[in-house]
Amino acid sequence: MLSMNFDIAFPSLVAGRLALAYLNLPDTLQHDHQLSTPLTSYPRLQEGLYLFHNGVDPYSGGLFRHSPLLLSLFSTVLPLNRHTAALLWTASDALAAWALVQIWRARQQLTAKTPRDSLIAAAYLLNPYILLPTLARSTATFENALLLLAVMFACRGKAAATLLTLAVATHLSLTSALYLLPLVLLLLTTPVSHLASPRPYPYALQDIVKRAGPFMVEYTVYMLVLAGAATLASGGWGWVGKTWGAVLTLPDLTPNVGLWWYFFTEMFDHFRPFFLMVFSIHLAIYPLPLSIKFQHDPLYALYALTGVLATFKPYPSLADAGLFVSMAALFPETYAHMRTPFPTALVHLHCSLLLPLFHHLWLGAGTGNANFYYASTLVWGVAMGLGVADAVWAGLVAGIKGAAKKGDAAGACAWDGWEVAQE
Amino acid sequence: MPPRILRNILAKLKGRGDKNLTRIQRRRALADLAWRTYPRLQLLLFAIGYAWLLTIPSTLHGQRTYIDENALQPGQVNTYWNWADVHRADRYLEQLESMRDRNASSHETATFISNEFRKLGIPASTQDYAFSTTSGTVSGTNAYAVLSSPRASGTEAMVISASRLSLTGEGDGTLNLRGIATVLSLAAYLKGYSLWAKDLVFVVSDGYLDGMQAWISSYHGVTQGNLVAEPLQLSSGVIWTALNIDYPGHSFSHLGVFFEGLNGRLPNQDLINSFQVISRFTGGVPVLVYDHFDQSEFPDRVPDFVPKWLPQGMRRNEATQEYAYRAQNVMRHIGYQARGRASGVHGLLHQFRIDAITLFAVPAQGPHGFHAIGRVVESTLRTLNNLLERLHASFFFYLLVGPATFMKIGAFLPAPVLVGTAMLVGGMGAWAAARWARQGRAQGQAEKREEGRDVPAARWIERPRPVAPALSVIVYTHALGIALFCLCTWPGILAGGNIVATLLFASVALAAGGGSLLARAPAGSTQAPSWMILKSFNLCLASTVISVTSVLNFSLAATLAVFMGLPLSLSAPSRSAAARLTKFTLYALLALGWLLFVPGEAAQALRNWEVLRVWFAPFVCIVYTPLVLQAGVVCLLSP
Repeated sequence: MLSMNFDIAFPSLVAGRLALAYLNLPDTLQHDHQLSTPLTSYPRLQEGLYLFHNGVDPYSGGLFRHSPLLLSLFSTVLPLNRHTAALLWTASDALAAWALVQIWRARQQLTAKTPRDSLIAAAYLLNPYILLPTLARSTATFENALLLLAVMFACRGKAAATLLTLAVATHLSLTSALYLLPLVLLLLTTPVSHLASPRPYPYALQDIVKRAGPFMVEYTVYMLVLAGAATLASGGWGWVGKTWGAVLTLPDLTPNVGLWWYFFTEMFDHFRPFFLMVFSIHLAIYPLPLSIKFQHDPLYALYALTGVLATFKPYPSLADAGLFVSMAALFPETYAHMRTPFPTALVHLHCSLLLPLFHHLWLGAGTGNANFYYASTLVWGVAMGLGVADAVWAGLVAGIKGAAKKGDAAGACAWDGWEVAQE
Repeated sequence: MPPRILRNILAKLKGRGDKNLTRIQRRRALADLAWRTYPRLQLLLFAIGYAWLLTIPSTLHGQRTYIDENALQPGQVNTYWNWADVHRADRYLEQLESMRDRNASSHETATFISNEFRKLGIPASTQDYAFSTTSGTVSGTNAYAVLSSPRASGTEAMVISASRLSLTGEGDGTLNLRGIATVLSLAAYLKGYSLWAKDLVFVVSDGYLDGMQAWISSYHGVTQGNLVAEPLQLSSGVIWTALNIDYPGHSFSHLGVFFEGLNGRLPNQDLINSFQVISRFTGGVPVLVYDHFDQSEFPDRVPDFVPKWLPQGMRRNEATQEYAYRAQNVMRHIGYQARGRASGVHGLLHQFRIDAITLFAVPAQGPHGFHAIGRVVESTLRTLNNLLERLHASFFFYLLVGPATFMKIGAFLPAPVLVGTAMLVGGMGAWAAARWARQGRAQGQAEKREEGRDVPAARWIERPRPVAPALSVIVYTHALGIALFCLCTWPGILAGGNIVATLLFASVALAAGGGSLLARAPAGSTQAPSWMILKSFNLCLASTVISVTSVLNFSLAATLAVFMGLPLSLSAPSRSAAARLTKFTLYALLALGWLLFVPGEAAQALRNWEVLRVWFAPFVCIVYTPLVLQAGVVCLLSP
């Protein structure tokens, strides 16, 4: 089964996904709070398009929070209906899965196809955390695809393409800007796995600054161009506060799987700005230490960062977690060093059942309340935290054991005799 | 400096040598402890879990009920329902009885009732409906009337309903004529008061459950594939609360409260408590849970539900009687809730977030009649009229063990969760056991004897644990469950009698047994045996199902804990083929026995799914049966 030919497996997986998208599932899933957030919800996108068509500025209300680029795309080139939506969302996932396979090949420096290609495509296309948000037509699907494309371009050393794709991804979701640092570091080196043989980053700090500087400028230019295009398309600056601003000020407290909404529901108003700042800065802290610790393998730093952001970002959905889970397929060398894969999987099993259940008890049956759902999002946070901690642990331990195997560290101990104490 | 004792303890905990070394040693010791003690821990958790289930009816648990919502103020009003209204109810009853005697059609009766509402000056209408199910078509006509609130905009409403058939024997054909007469007479009476802050909607639904299902679905604009219902002519606001009146007998001695809704949803306890207080103090009618008589009312009589085989002394013991009484209530509750059944017409309203109960006038020679039930309903409606927001303050998760005694969720939920945890421990233990194999025991012992020094008696070797075979068995059995469910919804399969049921049983069991081929390990493989991995996954899945269900439907979780807890933990292959087959057959009987032993139950569950969307039938076919069949497959695999 695992050695299935990629040329057969990939099209059949995509065809299966397309068939699913044509069932009645999307209409029931699109309102689900786990699968899409106010920033990615399909009904809100339709509402914005409707307002736009009828000459009302969609950004004058509080409902529409999608990028003007999506607005102009769907109101001109590509009218949004049942069929185009099914095709477009499935195509986006297919593209993302293909990019993931390309990243795998670049990391392994493969030119020929391998049996694992199909498995990696399946890990993306059959991952329920990816599948369900796509069926719900959440625009997070596009964000994931764009990020994976950017990573793929970075693996191939194509700077302009990487930065442009990341700029588009950032434009759709401001949080993606945090991926810039590991992506640039990846651009400057190779995607080949150095987890087992850690080494200092091949360039000194001044060199990095010197080489990355033009990239930063280029990225800023792309961002400015996109912002200008968005302003022209939507006819004003109103979109900035409604889309990017929402990420920083959390105006819409519709429940989601993340940790922000409940906290800010309970918050007294005069503490709000302070804690918004704390929560946002907390997110911005991660790229640097992860990039320093995994300087030998920036792709792994980026992978760990996807997990961190999926846990802590302001409007997360299952799609963000899905990206982290599916990307795990790229790093088989870490599996042996994971400490708690089975319990993590069990916590994920529990909370993926508890989330919809408590959501139903609170908002459907009316027998529960917000605390029920909040409790299940905390369990979800634990599940994600376990996964991220285990990924970071396994990535670092792979380095220590790899060094021991090579005989670098004293050489006295045999490879299986190694154990690491956690500080 | 801390005192020496403290320092000694700390030193013992932290160790004296290298900090990291101690940490590793401590972690190893803990892992070792967990590994050595997990079977005992599992047994302990099972013992506590099952023992807890048994103590649920005991007086160890339970507390008095109380009113939580201050706005309710039950029993604080004067009631004005009087003999003139009773007389009016008697006249309605006469007309209804004459219609019954001349076998009037259901459409004729509904038209009569809606005409009577109109004569009172209340807008009224009828609704025709028809359900098509695998066992035939059910059709009828509902009558309803909407009395607009004189004091408010009509954004909220209360429902007073009576079904044509009483809940006696789950709608066995007993007519609820006095219930309908009460509703009609109440409509006439309540119209005379200007204090209503919510619309009053009077519904006389046809049949037992089907009429109300058609009416409430149409009211909320919900369509259902197999239901053809006339759209409602009149509408009102959001329905918050509803009282369903069930009065089948000539007179009554007690009012019983029925509260379980579809899919195990319960109404807010404040509703039951308010009714209980009002009935007792305004109406002077004692309240029962269901129609179970409280033995404290009859101190001289040994109640029927105390087992006959108990010694006389124990049968007369008060504690035994109390336990038996509570157990009877709990078992009845589990019977309704676990199967997702509504215990009366009120239960259909729960799916739309309406808190509703049925007041059941327990048939007796006396002393109560229309006078008492009218006052109780009037006062209860006045109480509900006070609500400023939906009922939310009191409990939604509770066990009502007596009319005024209940258990909070914390007192009963741990029982199934502990059983689930025991299974989880077993599953994780099996996962760890699959990884490690002992090798060279004999060799090790020989060495020990020869050299006379401490050589480890056995060497643990690590085995790879392929998950794909076990996962494919799991996917296969659940797919089989879906196929089984689709087969059951074919007309005539469940009604086909013993032969069809036996054939279905045999084919599904055979197909499940065939699933063991998916996990057959190649001969001489050094991998972990696939039965261990399958057992681990099976236990973890079943444990998750039990724990997660427990917050939705306690009774179902408790039933699953009994049927799956210990049996699934005991699955293991045997050396002899006969023993393996016997074990598999036992598991197949546990998984699919319902096909053979309770075909009526199965047909009823399926009908409930088709008409009322009760997910018990698909749950059993798609979740329960496959999980137990997986344990059967575990027994079939090579040890």
